[in-house]
Amino acid sequence: MVKITIDGKTTEVERGTTVLNAARKLGIEIPTLCDHPELTPYGGCRLCLVDVEGAKTLQTSCTLPVSNDMVVHTDTQKIHDARKFILSMIFSERNHFCPYCQVSGGDCDLQNSAYAEDMTHWPIMPNWQPYPVDASHPFIILDHNRCILCRLCVRACGELVGNFTLGVEESGAESTLVADLGLPLGESSCVGCGTCVQVCPTGSIIDRWSAYQGKETEVDTTKTICRGCSIGCGIDVLTRDNRLVRIEGDWDAEINGGVLCEVGRFHPMVEERERLLTPMIRTNGKLKATSWDGAISATAEKIISSKGKFSGVASTRLSMEALNEFKAICDAFDADSIATTEGCAAISAIFDLAESSDKAFESKIDEIKDADCYLIIGEDTTKDHQVVSFFAKRQIPAGAKLIQISDCPTGIDNFANESLTIDKKSQSKLINAIGNLIARKSVDVEKIAKTFKLNVSSLKNVMRIMSSANKVAVIFGSRCEFDDATAVLESIISLNTLLNGKLITTKGNINSVGASMLGINNIATTDNSEVVLMALGDEELPQSFSRKFEKIPFSIIFSSYISPLTANADIVLPVQNWLEQGGHFINADGQILEAKAALEAPETVISNEESLLKLAAVLNIKKQQGWEEFVKKAPTPVTIN
Amino acid sequence: MAKPTVASDWLAGCAGCHMSFLDIDERIAKLVELVDLRATPITDLKEPDEEGVTVGILEGGINNTFNEHVAKQMRARCKILVALGDCAVFGGVPAMRNFFTLEESLKRAYVDTPSTDESGKIPSSPELAKSTLVRSVHEIVKVDVFVPGCPPDADIIFYVLSELAQGRMPKLENNNLMWN
Repeated sequence: MVKITIDGKTTEVERGTTVLNAARKLGIEIPTLCDHPELTPYGGCRLCLVDVEGAKTLQTSCTLPVSNDMVVHTDTQKIHDARKFILSMIFSERNHFCPYCQVSGGDCDLQNSAYAEDMTHWPIMPNWQPYPVDASHPFIILDHNRCILCRLCVRACGELVGNFTLGVEESGAESTLVADLGLPLGESSCVGCGTCVQVCPTGSIIDRWSAYQGKETEVDTTKTICRGCSIGCGIDVLTRDNRLVRIEGDWDAEINGGVLCEVGRFHPMVEERERLLTPMIRTNGKLKATSWDGAISATAEKIISSKGKFSGVASTRLSMEALNEFKAICDAFDADSIATTEGCAAISAIFDLAESSDKAFESKIDEIKDADCYLIIGEDTTKDHQVVSFFAKRQIPAGAKLIQISDCPTGIDNFANESLTIDKKSQSKLINAIGNLIARKSVDVEKIAKTFKLNVSSLKNVMRIMSSANKVAVIFGSRCEFDDATAVLESIISLNTLLNGKLITTKGNINSVGASMLGINNIATTDNSEVVLMALGDEELPQSFSRKFEKIPFSIIFSSYISPLTANADIVLPVQNWLEQGGHFINADGQILEAKAALEAPETVISNEESLLKLAAVLNIKKQQGWEEFVKKAPTPVTIN
Repeated sequence: MAKPTVASDWLAGCAGCHMSFLDIDERIAKLVELVDLRATPITDLKEPDEEGVTVGILEGGINNTFNEHVAKQMRARCKILVALGDCAVFGGVPAMRNFFTLEESLKRAYVDTPSTDESGKIPSSPELAKSTLVRSVHEIVKVDVFVPGCPPDADIIFYVLSELAQGRMPKLENNNLMWN
């Protein structure tokens, strides 16, 4: 511990703490434009200058580590003059006219800093050099005129997302933010995660869908979780007058620590599907509007008259509460099968294996964040469950190596040290063969390379990387079709054990784990059922899924949006979308997460849970045990907490 | 003691700051008890008294040789010069044209606009002032009080004027400091 006195207040901090963080600990505010708690200090904006007794010049507090008995002043005339001068210089560099800027009026750190120094004008006027505006990206606008070169976006892109798209070219006054080596952002390697938008302190990087929709002081913020995939990233949903303004990553969320992917941050902004607003029953070949009571009693009648010849299909995007109610209905009427909307065998294989093994075989996602070797198998994690790929990619500057095994090229290829392309049928064999090499059960690399048609030097390199790694993380992108998912999974688990690694699997949707724990994890099949009861949420299901149900004589569908499925249905019940309903979800990491509703639904639309409760009441189904009871008993691949 | 005298004028702006000044509503009666309101663009007397005024107020940036003349005359004839609004303080919206050449801006305004037919041409009468880069007032003459805002809120304008009327220099800080 080292002692420091700032503005007369003394404290002790860990060695290595910066003066800026020591000041924060003491409740002393030092302005900065380029510092972010999640990013490496950079010392670029110079606004955090402090006066250190004994030092010749003012020092940047964000990069200065505390040394013992340091005495620091942050509130002297000299410092205020320096800050004003620095701000004047920044304002003079580019176009920082506030009246026509998106973030003016509270959301701009530059403007707020000027206010804090009582700046009424710019002592140095700008030089009127125009810079380009890059509007090539579908979600992000890059206005170089507003850029102060703080490099928060550059650091976020590299350190948090591991994408290294953004950088700075040229030097001095010529310095310019660039994507890749000077490509328009929309044509660059940008993955559209929008972390740069979230850290930009000025109006330089803005998101085109929320621009001018409302300042932070004018919006309501709901802390909840993203339901775009199984990770369940913490998000802040910003709304105004019951309208979605923007989604931001929650810096305090344990699982994602502030980052989000394009699917979570931007896709909800461009939702264009038509909502279902009223319950409907097919009469004389056409869907006709009816009341909730009418639709629910028609549904109940149909279920009763089907005499068990009905099957249930539930979305794994629904909450535990809704799924539990759904299961109760299916169980009470002896449904032929209870399936999910997912068409992937790997998830049920994971749970089957969990049932036969005595303890959780997966690690926690948190444990893979500091590995030095990442083995990524299965789906393209730069497209699905993207945030998981960020955790691997961002360790590259620290020396981490990436190895991929996949049947086709993926976005990871650009980052991987070795990418082994192999058809799905042979994947388990290859993984077992690699395991044998690691365990020295076989030593003939050439022969194995030949068998699997791989490059000998690639395979040798894979062996070298794996055997020299201190901490291996194995990421199984499990939303992937395999002929024998169990064999692949078993090969992965045994390789992971040999490597003493940390295994995680991405599974499917936000509540795939929860659904499996309730026993809902079969793949939907078209059997002899005469009636299908389909509890959907707001997902967009592939055509292949819809086609499966075309021949079923009678389908009852709960859904938020109009789709080919609802067009063919016989009873349609409108439910809330993910932003309108809350509940509990169990993510891929086994965390029980609580989601909150951020928007109010249209009056005629109710939640999945409520609609299923209505149905259960009409069917006279007694209150079942809570989902918490199932969770306590069910075996899982990962520890639940 | 005689009441302090006040004169104002507008340059390259939109008159919005003067409109915001009028938004002080009935408080204007209180103000004229304290000050003698002399030349303004919205009263009969257009130029500040030759013998000088206590407070001169300028709205708008300086975008031609005539604006320069007005600013210099106001400076010469007032003790305290107030730059009122974002255009006077920073150049404001008119200064957007500084990112283009003067020729481009004039062509856009007089020739290229969709409502202009082929007879459109850039005015060139020698009687017209010569256009320049848009500058803030303090680039041409010394400014004593900066009142940013687009426009500054009526309450802020009232605060500034009532302070000046009572012989104090206004200090813009906290909620009174707004650039947009």
